[in-house]
Amino acid sequence: MRKSLMRGAGAALVAALTLWGATQPAGAAEPVSVRLKWLPQAQFAGIYVAKAKGFYEAGGLDVTVNPGGPNINVETLVASGADTFGIASGTEGVLYAREKGLPLVCIGMSQQMTPFAYVAYTESGINSVKDFKGKKVATWFTGPQYTLFSVLAHEGLAQSDLQVVSQPFSMQPFIDKQYDVATVTLYNELNTLKEQGITDIKLFLPDDSGVTTQQDSIVTSEKMIKEKPEQVQAFLDATLKGWKYAFEHKAEAVDIVLAAGSGLERKHQELMLDEIEKLMVAKLGTTEGLGAIDMKSIAAVQDSLVEFKAMKAPVDLAAAFDTTFFAKVPAEDKKM
Amino acid sequence: MSGSPNALRRVLANPFAAIVIVALAWWIAVPLFKIEPRFLPPISVVFADGMSVWRDLAAGLWRTLLETVLGFLAGAILGIAFGVGFAYLRFLERAFFPIFVALQTVPVIAFGAIVVIWFGNTIMAKVVIALYLAFFPVAVNTLRGLETTDPQRIALMKSFGASGLQLFLKLALPTALPSIMIGLKLGISLSLAGAIVGEWFGDTVGLGVMLLQSLYFEQIPRVWVLIVACGALGTVLYGFLALIERRFVWWRPD
Repeated sequence: MRKSLMRGAGAALVAALTLWGATQPAGAAEPVSVRLKWLPQAQFAGIYVAKAKGFYEAGGLDVTVNPGGPNINVETLVASGADTFGIASGTEGVLYAREKGLPLVCIGMSQQMTPFAYVAYTESGINSVKDFKGKKVATWFTGPQYTLFSVLAHEGLAQSDLQVVSQPFSMQPFIDKQYDVATVTLYNELNTLKEQGITDIKLFLPDDSGVTTQQDSIVTSEKMIKEKPEQVQAFLDATLKGWKYAFEHKAEAVDIVLAAGSGLERKHQELMLDEIEKLMVAKLGTTEGLGAIDMKSIAAVQDSLVEFKAMKAPVDLAAAFDTTFFAKVPAEDKKM
Repeated sequence: MSGSPNALRRVLANPFAAIVIVALAWWIAVPLFKIEPRFLPPISVVFADGMSVWRDLAAGLWRTLLETVLGFLAGAILGIAFGVGFAYLRFLERAFFPIFVALQTVPVIAFGAIVVIWFGNTIMAKVVIALYLAFFPVAVNTLRGLETTDPQRIALMKSFGASGLQLFLKLALPTALPSIMIGLKLGISLSLAGAIVGEWFGDTVGLGVMLLQSLYFEQIPRVWVLIVACGALGTVLYGFLALIERRFVWWRPD
């Protein structure tokens, strides 16, 4: 009895382990993957367009697009090799990953302007960032708080001059006027406010205070750059080409995004693509081309992170941000 | 006249009647108490929103159902196997039970991050998270059920020369089955929660994906659509197990 039971339990264990093993992805997979920082939406239109229009295929890549979520850390997944490429958080995310010793390299930057902005009701009498003094200002403490701190520093305000509070997922507390200033992204929360009919607001852009932090970094691992640089180049070429096509054929791009996701609203996605275009076709995105890496703003971001003790010591920016791939992208693929 | 309270009771006992009553209360209460849509949108708005995405909703329901059922089945088989193993092989319980308890206290968020690295964005990742949540209550309830076997009855059956397997199949297992059913009913609800959380680790189809999206875009009616859909799915799955229980495991241990 005892023996047969033990054998049974053993067999069950073996069966479970086999099942486990069988589902592991096969090693040394030739096709590559790109991990997004969020679910399918127009924020990633360029990637979906490049796939749907066959730009990746033409570059010799079989790309799987893996959507992200709130619990997904793109930097870790790409550095560990679980995903080949990634659309990761942004300047800060790359710097933190490098500080932790992750072999992650940024090869392009999607958003050329800071996508975060601050909103206040017109009636509040707040007309500039300097007027934040003495007010209750909400921001996300998942990283964007350092952008706020930099903006305050640039405007000559001390953090103790105002009350900085943590902002939740929802814009509802701002709608209920629980604080004076809230943080939005230009491509989502600002649209949410507008859709709820809230238009009597003023907008303050970090770039106007001289704070630029590029977001949605295009990343890969040091290993990929060393072993398969031609694939890295092909991926960046096709991705930027996809973006250019998306902005030149917006209706088609939205169609492609809607097909890639589920339950998406067309109007939302159109608005998002418009805002993403403004963020990507700005500053260096106009002069150098889509995806340009702004080393000057990155150095400034790192300086402020070190100043705010979010980073212990600066990292080697030349190793963290590789501009050589971007430089080799044909002009007709990246210049609007 | 005397029959009416009974009739009312009979109507209320019907689960479908309860659904209709809740829907009616929702329908009447929102305009009556002037509830703001961000707290509770009118049921008509929620219904219309659900209809506008019914294709995605159906695909999501199917996908989440599949993840839940696969995870539950795997979790139930493993859970019962370990429960039985623990009951008969004390060293196994002493060796593994503390590990399982420790695993159970690991937040599913931390576990999920690892699962994504192991399995990528496959359906397997969600199934494993559903399994992870379903497994423990099944194992514990199987073990507790088997432990309640009356030693006097064991002695009696042994005196008639019953073999170990006969003891297990004819006495211990029937004694434990009601308890195992409790574990399974807990497990199926947890499987559904596991599948939905699993979808938050990156996917394009599923109720969890749609829920996350509606939270991100602050589409409150859509959130309610998904609350209703998840609730309906959980109720159907639980009801199915309850039906099996009523049909096949109707007895109670003394």
